[in-house]
Amino acid sequence: MYSWRKIREKLFTCIVTVFSLLAIAPIIHLIIVVSINGGMAMLKAGLNFFTDLPPTPYSKEIGGIAPAIVGTAIVTAISLPITISLALFAAIMTSEFPRNPISLTIDAVARSLASIPTIAISMIVYVLVVVPMNRFSALAGAIALAIVAMPYAYTYISTALRSVPAVYREAALSVAMSRWGTVLRVLIPIAGKSIVVGILMTMARIMGETAALLFTVGRMRATVPFSPTEPVDAIPLLIFDYILSPYEIWHQVAWGATAFLLLAYVVIFLAVKLVVKEVRM
Amino acid sequence: MSLLPFSLSLLAILIISIIVIMQRSLEALQVFGYRLFISSTWNPEIGVYGLLAPLVGSIVTSLLAVFFALVFSLPLTITITEHLRGISKKIVTSIVELMGGIPTIVYAVWASQYLVPFLKTFIMEPLHRMFSFIPLFSCRPATGFSVLSAGFAIGISIIPYVTALMIEAYHSIPIAYKEACYGIGATRYETIRIMLSLSRPAILAALILGLARSLGETTIAVATVGNSMYLSACLFAPSYTVPALIASQFANAHLYAHAESVLYTSILVVMLISVMLSFYASTILIRWRSRIVV
Repeated sequence: MYSWRKIREKLFTCIVTVFSLLAIAPIIHLIIVVSINGGMAMLKAGLNFFTDLPPTPYSKEIGGIAPAIVGTAIVTAISLPITISLALFAAIMTSEFPRNPISLTIDAVARSLASIPTIAISMIVYVLVVVPMNRFSALAGAIALAIVAMPYAYTYISTALRSVPAVYREAALSVAMSRWGTVLRVLIPIAGKSIVVGILMTMARIMGETAALLFTVGRMRATVPFSPTEPVDAIPLLIFDYILSPYEIWHQVAWGATAFLLLAYVVIFLAVKLVVKEVRM
Repeated sequence: MSLLPFSLSLLAILIISIIVIMQRSLEALQVFGYRLFISSTWNPEIGVYGLLAPLVGSIVTSLLAVFFALVFSLPLTITITEHLRGISKKIVTSIVELMGGIPTIVYAVWASQYLVPFLKTFIMEPLHRMFSFIPLFSCRPATGFSVLSAGFAIGISIIPYVTALMIEAYHSIPIAYKEACYGIGATRYETIRIMLSLSRPAILAALILGLARSLGETTIAVATVGNSMYLSACLFAPSYTVPALIASQFANAHLYAHAESVLYTSILVVMLISVMLSFYASTILIRWRSRIVV
């Protein structure tokens, strides 16, 4: 009744399913653990978690991560516009003149830029920005993040622009619109939602990047900074330092900050899902 | 062509980056030469540097990571493309996408606090007890922070990336092959085997890209690899990877002669390897695409 082929078929399906479940088990465990540990830390600290300074290693109170939140906000606010505008121009160029040698070069460059380790970019910006300015600064961090995120933003935006059917471009050109007009008034509005998705994903990437900030932003945890030329802190950097420290109280702060970062990422992810859904309809 | 200057910014960044790293590592290469790559002594006080341990550590860790990623990504790819339909497919795909974007620092926190103790108790200690005569498992897992932990943790973090590449490759195989298989009465297992053998170059390319990515992984490596200058054949011993070495040494490197330059040399090597790997992978992909599409 049951031939070897049928048994093998069932066996194969079983093994594949088990391994797939094992593959997504870590992420589910991760989300649960981060929510519990981070949630407890945040509950213990209360709303002060968003307004206070980090604790000293031997203090009883958890304190807060205000400098890191403000720092991440400043750094993201500087680097996101730079990244998006440069990536948008490059993407328009390569999607308008796809066979031009310059466009082919840019494509290849974007790929190899994405494969440079982010810690190398941190070291490069250290030489180019931190050493000449003679101090760490939010600006240096923003430049490093822009370099890290640029290839991603470029890939998202150029995929979005290239997915617009050619008929729209032909229609626009046939009513004598200029090339620029076509791009600005036809292509970008049509690809708009996908470009928004790309911008959101780039933002998530910028917010969560750690290694690029190691030698660029400094670690200003004593006050809440507001100037782009001053050293600042960032949420991922704070987590990195505190989770590797031996102090229990810093571990708690790190868990709280991790939960906050994960929550921010999940919110962006859900927003992306909503936008994508609208595109389909 | 008014867009030219903006579009060339990417190219300019790449060239400047390479020049800076090369120029900074020149000093160490002139002073130490090839001796940098054959010793693993690290003593800035007396000016002796060796990069062998972190380089070997980086390569072993990344190979392990790619191996674990393959073990889990391939079944995941098959499940998503062949076994799931409708809403369940959407959910699993969304989970994989969600995994892909989670900041690596979150993985690092989770891995250092939960994964490493878990691996120590349930994988390393049993393996050490039973197979301690094999050099790979010969040392006692002291803290759990080791090459194996780092490989596993980085492997988990690149699963979504490798899976996404594999799914893309799988979808780009013309449907005619699959129809032909079912048409001659092949079972689903046999069909999948044929589809996988057709996409073997693309799977290889996905793994090479995963390797390039795990070579540069910093935060997870620092949190799990144990950070010690120690060259050993054992997978349970703590070690270093190049990014982990830089993350822990660069801040104080300016205090010692040549230390900064040595660190730039180490990242130069990793950078060259990963750029070459990703170029090689994209060459494989382009050649495969032009052959597979009929």
